[in-house]
Amino acid sequence: MNSDELLKFSLDLGEQMLVSGAEISRVEDTLQRIAHVFGCKSADVFVITSVIFLTLTDSEDRSVTGTRRVSRYDTNLDKLHKYNDLSRYICANVPEIDEIRERFEEVKQEKGYSLPLQVFACAMISASFTLFFGGSAIDAAASAVAGAVLKLIVFAQSKTKVNMVFSNVISSAAVCLLAFSFVRLGFGEDSSKIIVGNIMLLIPGVALTNSIRDMISGDIISGMLRLFEALIIAFAIAAGYILVALMFGGVTL
Amino acid sequence: MSEFKLYILQIATAFFGAMGFSLLYNTRRTKMLISALGGALGWTVFTLVKLYAVDSELFCLFAAAMAVTVYAEIFARIKKTPTTTFLVVGIISMIPGSALYYTMSYAVGNDLDKFLDTGVYTLKSAMALAVGIIVVSTAVRMASAVVTHFYKKKKGTET
Repeated sequence: MNSDELLKFSLDLGEQMLVSGAEISRVEDTLQRIAHVFGCKSADVFVITSVIFLTLTDSEDRSVTGTRRVSRYDTNLDKLHKYNDLSRYICANVPEIDEIRERFEEVKQEKGYSLPLQVFACAMISASFTLFFGGSAIDAAASAVAGAVLKLIVFAQSKTKVNMVFSNVISSAAVCLLAFSFVRLGFGEDSSKIIVGNIMLLIPGVALTNSIRDMISGDIISGMLRLFEALIIAFAIAAGYILVALMFGGVTL
Repeated sequence: MSEFKLYILQIATAFFGAMGFSLLYNTRRTKMLISALGGALGWTVFTLVKLYAVDSELFCLFAAAMAVTVYAEIFARIKKTPTTTFLVVGIISMIPGSALYYTMSYAVGNDLDKFLDTGVYTLKSAMALAVGIIVVSTAVRMASAVVTHFYKKKKGTET
């Protein structure tokens, strides 16, 4: 395989791993291993949450450099598992580029769970967390309905590529509106419990924890990016809540 | 008795919440069950530590994160899959998601004292979790480096 092909494939693989939810160190490690298996003298990889930089230097000291911008995430742990398997396979067998490409595209084409199942999952999550934070059974039922609606809204937004902050404001406002209306109509007792259950679907808590993990393990820039992204999203969610709460008289500014 | 009931309910809902997230993150079959059980394990450890050992929420989070990471590392090796698969879902019930939300809603609502209190608490919890994870995963990485080192040495002398 020549360096250009290797560079292109490495960037593709790195991008897809990052999109599927790999940690920074995993992507860097994988790209380095693959480069060495294909006889590169050195591979300089720098990955942050939104960009991959890769320079490969071959045995005759010629180097190629590439960057890849990553702007969209779609956590899919099954795909991540398969990309990981693929990189293991590459390192163990050093196959031809055509075979690698074929296997890579196969994984890339795979679809996630169907929308109805995802809606069900969201309903289950929000009902569970409403109970978890001390809501009653009827709160949980209301929360499940709101969670299902929330997933549909998020899905619709993902099709239209709305700005991240704006889409979170809308989603959280919709959830709060539903929660307050349900409680007014007698379907549910405590609107804050319903909201908190649904917030778990939106809030970037995992990103917050991962950001601190990144920073402690030395990936400071990635950690900062993730931390601020998490804070901004949390801010957007709170703003959506406040919008609705003002209308229902729950808060005054 | 009712407290006990609440704990059981929380552990059960942690299980179902984690299961929902593993569905959402596209985990398949047995791996889904393993990650959901990880979620339940995390909250069980949290509750037990809180009841019988140290009554500090941060320490409980730290201990529970360590337990989930050990669990995730073990099953990642058994199932030959990235540790993240079980880790991300396993810690979900301990994530300071609602605290982060309240922090920001206090900020928007002009309640600055509460904003600071909850904000600091949120960061502390996230740190407790992160440090718990880091401690275990670093230990595992060191242990596996040592193992491969000796394994290679042994192989080297034989050939």
